[in-house]
Amino acid sequence: MSVATRFRSIAGWQITLGVALLSLGFLIAAQLRSETPRVSYATNERVPLVETAQGLQTQQDALKQRLLDLRASIQGVETQGQGSAAAVQQLDDQLRQARIEAGLTALQGPGLVLQLRDSTNVVPPGGNPTDYLVSARDIRTVVEELWLSGAEAVSVNGERVTSATAIIDIGGSVLLNAAYLSPPYQISAIGPSDLFDQVNGSAGFRDFIRMRVEAFGLQVGFAEPKDVLIPAYAGTINLRYSRPVVPAPSPGP
Amino acid sequence: MRKRNSQLTIAAVTMLLGLLVVVQLRSQSIGTGLEALSAQNLTVLVANLNTRNDQLRTEIATTERELADLQGARSRGESSVDQLRLDLARVRAWTGLDAVTGTGVRVTVDGMIAGAGVQDLLNELHNAGAEALAVADTRVVPGTVVAGPPGALSVENTALSDGFEITALGNPATLTGSLTRAGGIVAQLAATYPQVQITVLPVDVVEIPGTTRDLLPAHGTPRL
Repeated sequence: MSVATRFRSIAGWQITLGVALLSLGFLIAAQLRSETPRVSYATNERVPLVETAQGLQTQQDALKQRLLDLRASIQGVETQGQGSAAAVQQLDDQLRQARIEAGLTALQGPGLVLQLRDSTNVVPPGGNPTDYLVSARDIRTVVEELWLSGAEAVSVNGERVTSATAIIDIGGSVLLNAAYLSPPYQISAIGPSDLFDQVNGSAGFRDFIRMRVEAFGLQVGFAEPKDVLIPAYAGTINLRYSRPVVPAPSPGP
Repeated sequence: MRKRNSQLTIAAVTMLLGLLVVVQLRSQSIGTGLEALSAQNLTVLVANLNTRNDQLRTEIATTERELADLQGARSRGESSVDQLRLDLARVRAWTGLDAVTGTGVRVTVDGMIAGAGVQDLLNELHNAGAEALAVADTRVVPGTVVAGPPGALSVENTALSDGFEITALGNPATLTGSLTRAGGIVAQLAATYPQVQITVLPVDVVEIPGTTRDLLPAHGTPRL
């Protein structure tokens, strides 16, 4: 019997079943792959929590945009006021400068973007799966190395790192400025033209590569775009427990 | 009979296939990493998001008032010097450009600890809501890093001795509780550096100096 004859003798339903089973196998494999190493929880109690978190994150995005718009409006009004009293002008200038120093103004310039991704290595028996995920400590280490290498502004997944920023673990993801960030993590920095060489050559960064990338397979990518944009910090700057120290008046003549 | 069986088989496989396609698409559509969080972590996340959203609403209300005052003053042809001074003082204090005072904690670190350990301590203080921090009277601002191996720490190019103090402004009870809770950062550091003594003391008044670091960007330009 020729191959063509044998093929014609296979019933149509067998071919359909074969294709369906093949797709089934592919989907099962895809589903299993997508669940490691970040374990998926599928309990009923999680569903409302996930929906609440997503709703709050959407609200947060809108609130941040509203705050940025208001700050831009204030700056607009202050700019219109130029040409008035010299004292007002001077204060306007000082305020504009202070906002840049505070990170309340977006910044663009030369720099680099580092991307951190979870490991795709198979966790060996007895290994700790969290070692194969990017942690808050990993992000802090990279941010610290960037500062030490001369970076003057840093953001992670669009969240500006400021005087008050905390970066903490939450499950296998990260909270930064109390905003939820999920991997991959893009750490952007503005700095001198040799920022990449400085970071790459630092002992601390080499230790990070040895202990996290080589040992556990975390993935690190670099890019040096012509212009890096670091967004403004969209968060509170209200002080509840502290106040500026008022300088003592200088003694009279 | 044989044909009926084959149809039933195909129907069953196709149904399973459809179910798996839906499951796969749903799991990919979340796509935010939330699927990787346990119920406990999701609860923490929701609490954090709620807190930040409340802070943002307060900040928005303050900024709206500020904008209205500024527009009112400008439309009446009045100078807005007082408003501008207040705003300037607030921004400079928050940034770390000026000295600040208030309630907080004094954290004494005695013994040889690595820079990473001190950074973890500072991170936890920020997480607990510290409004200003200083390490041995050096104000912590963007770019300030305590670095070096145990016994050779430095901050802002100044060597740190093996006994130094961290001061933090904020709610003393919250800051103390966050640092000293069971399994908290002080306990973790005690396990990593058993020879290091860390004590946390709530204080009614603490003063933190302004930074000496130049925070104006030299390479980036503001995008207004």
